[in-house]
Amino acid sequence: MTSDRNPMKNAIAFAGATTTGFERRNTTRSQASWAAEACIDAMRQCDLGPKDVDGLCGSWPPANELQAILGLPEITWFENPPVPFINHVSAAAAAVFAGLCEVALVWHAAYRQPWNTAGSLKDPFRAAAENFPAVAPSPDTVMHAVGYTAWASRYMHEFGATKEDFGLIAINDRSNAARNPAAALTHPLTMQEYLEARMIRWPLCLFDMDVAVDGADAFIVTTAERARDMPLPPVLINAAVHGMVANNEEDQIDGLAHHGQHIVVDSLKAKSDFWIDGADVFFPYDGFSIIALAWIENVGYCGAGEAGEFMRQYWDAESNSVRLNGKVPFNPHGGSLSEGATQGSGHVREAIHQLQGLAGDRQVPGARTALLTPGGFFFNAQGLTLIRD
Amino acid sequence: MAEADEELLERFASHSVDRDNAAHFRGRLNRQLLINRCGDCGRWHHPPKPVCPGCWSTAIEPSEVDGTGEVHLLIRLHQGPPAPGVDYSTPYPVVTVELDEQQGLRFTATVEEGDIAIGQRVELDWIERAGVPVPIFRLAREVSL
Repeated sequence: MTSDRNPMKNAIAFAGATTTGFERRNTTRSQASWAAEACIDAMRQCDLGPKDVDGLCGSWPPANELQAILGLPEITWFENPPVPFINHVSAAAAAVFAGLCEVALVWHAAYRQPWNTAGSLKDPFRAAAENFPAVAPSPDTVMHAVGYTAWASRYMHEFGATKEDFGLIAINDRSNAARNPAAALTHPLTMQEYLEARMIRWPLCLFDMDVAVDGADAFIVTTAERARDMPLPPVLINAAVHGMVANNEEDQIDGLAHHGQHIVVDSLKAKSDFWIDGADVFFPYDGFSIIALAWIENVGYCGAGEAGEFMRQYWDAESNSVRLNGKVPFNPHGGSLSEGATQGSGHVREAIHQLQGLAGDRQVPGARTALLTPGGFFFNAQGLTLIRD
Repeated sequence: MAEADEELLERFASHSVDRDNAAHFRGRLNRQLLINRCGDCGRWHHPPKPVCPGCWSTAIEPSEVDGTGEVHLLIRLHQGPPAPGVDYSTPYPVVTVELDEQQGLRFTATVEEGDIAIGQRVELDWIERAGVPVPIFRLAREVSL
């Protein structure tokens, strides 16, 4: 059951957010070095020194290593949640709200590794760090990331959706990424190129899958009160939710009409102060293109199976991307498919920058509200609403 | 005679065999597809769990299913993990089949090449790979009158 209880609403804020930018190559830097750079930038952006941070939240490197790297003298709360990134946001916000810490430093370092790209093995350091199983796993499965391919096939079967519908997600992302200096892929993508791209797992091709990158994002989470004394406009955490159903294994979910995303939508609607009609910018997660199509439908922009048609209806020829009602963009930073596979940290960072007026050429004029829906169908659907203070 | 635990783990090294699914993999050695069924409420579930998700009974009985059902999900792998006899130059099909025993009860395996599509009726067969039987679906041959 979902509840509208949300005592944390607007009490906790992002005071700042930074990125190193992302590169689709094996850089000669460690994952920790990318995280450290983003974290130092975030602390400087908010005028914070080592003694001012008492909370840490990130996956790679873990909090103990990050603390030692940055020489932060006293940490009273830390957590190393699994991705995607709303796990980090909700954990840090709840910890600050509960008084476990005052100022939390939160990070996500994206890194090219064997689990996301075989190309990472060309780097001997990355190859050496990986513990390969003695025997390769069986291919007779749709577990893990393959599950999205399986439900993409079902989506096409149930609704008569076409590959072009998926391609619009990729093209929208790529067009937006061209205006984002942090993005890994910025050259234009045509529908023809999309349709001719290398098939990885039918029906999904190379451009339906997020691009493995090196780089990091970092964030400062604190009370709204404390954030108001920092240099940048606070961005309030209006509501943060997670969603999961009982049958959450990749091949066992009830179907496209009932999975984690539906729980997120019900819960976020109940807890937040606005919904799609009041959102100035929307971030449908796009780790796989099918996930974004499903979010567009499930948050209520259109009916099941209609996301492709919806995007065509609101396609802006000049920018070659979606502009809802002439102004609201989807994934203005280029999303996971073009900025880079950030597990949602890029979406959150871009939302904060849009609401702080720091989004450069991508700025949505006067943006005050952002709706974010990171994660997929099975065990990682999440939602976040943000409001400029 | 039951395989020793160590031997079972070794023979199914490409799968994650644990206490809760060991009976399922032992069944494969006899070319039996064993799916967990609750001895109290009769509900089937997969993958194997230590209690029945419907009634919380621990009286779980790995039970043989007919292996007939309908293709619910279909993918074709153009690349994937190395496996004996699997050549991805011909895309390798994997299907999730909704089994006839219970609505929503699904099992995922490869499928014999052919005009496979979502919605088709299939039945279970077995092939041999790396010294162990591997379940494989194929288009149902029987036509019910």
